[in-house]
Amino acid sequence: LMLCYFSSCSSWLPQRVPLQGSHWQSSLLQLRTSLPVRAQPKKKKKVDVRKEQAQKDRMKKKLKKLEKAPPELIPIEDFIAPLKYSESNRVRSLPALSPEESERRVLLLKKWCLFKQKQDEAEKKAIKALVESQQEALKELRLECEELYEAAIRRDEGLFPFERDGPSYTPPLPGYDPPEGKCVDITKVYTQ
Amino acid sequence: DALLGCHRSYRSRPTHGIGKFKYLLPKEAPKTRKGKVQMKEIDTGTEYQYGDVNIQMTSYDLCLVEHFAQYVHRLCNRLSIRVNESYAMPTKTNEVLFMEERGSKMQLDAVLTTHQRVVQIRSLSSTFAPILLEVIQSSQPEGVHLLMKQHTEADFKSRLKSRPELEELLAEMS
Repeated sequence: LMLCYFSSCSSWLPQRVPLQGSHWQSSLLQLRTSLPVRAQPKKKKKVDVRKEQAQKDRMKKKLKKLEKAPPELIPIEDFIAPLKYSESNRVRSLPALSPEESERRVLLLKKWCLFKQKQDEAEKKAIKALVESQQEALKELRLECEELYEAAIRRDEGLFPFERDGPSYTPPLPGYDPPEGKCVDITKVYTQ
Repeated sequence: DALLGCHRSYRSRPTHGIGKFKYLLPKEAPKTRKGKVQMKEIDTGTEYQYGDVNIQMTSYDLCLVEHFAQYVHRLCNRLSIRVNESYAMPTKTNEVLFMEERGSKMQLDAVLTTHQRVVQIRSLSSTFAPILLEVIQSSQPEGVHLLMKQHTEADFKSRLKSRPELEELLAEMS
């Protein structure tokens, strides 16, 4: 009885829509379109959102921790004496000076002090003279024209930035052909 | 001694709080712990005064640049120009390689260290600025490169260590 029922069912299949493959596929053309599956994708979304939230929180925590630490200055190598100069026990033994030599040195020191004093005084005098002449000129300008005086008092925007190379012992050689080469920067990069 | 030692204050009596005076003094700024590196406010200056000005001296010779920086500092003190800070910038090391005359190999010539010292001054009057410039230029030693410019936040940031992790996180967040 059951067998004949099943056979009748199979013959009753509608010939209009021949089913290909699995019984979930309803259209002939696209393979991907199928009846909406309810269970799986929603679970994926929830887990993703939670994971993303957790990641964001972790990152925020890390950022807070890093931001809490104050920024540090780069250590300056000039002020750190290399170890090899402090470890060794070598002491320099200076020869004894004769009285004439020490006398000569003291007199030389005195001459140098005097020379430096004269230099310093000359500089102070020069500065004073400059300031005085400037003030006098400004006074005269004020008497002449008030507008120009105001314009002169204002600060000069074109003054800064000011750059100047130090003087050199000798002028540059004419027609000097420098060898080819390059400069490589090997400064140590400090990171916090 | 016992009379001086006791400081019982009866809250109902009119003598409560007698002897307190700290509330009358002006509030002190919060003490920075161990000299925390915090950027001081940059002064832009008025029309008749320059704000924060950096005098940067660069050279290969360490002693020369240090002595020149000391001289400039003392000069500013003598001329009663306010000096905010006098610090050193980190040293830069350069390797100079040159090509041999016959051959294609680069040969190491020297390792040069560039040192920089900065003297930061404030409220320099506009009439005195050229005089100061003239004096510093006249005593500039050989090989020392002088640069005078306004102080900016970028200048301050260049003294601090770089934080790649923080920057990476900030880039990821935004």
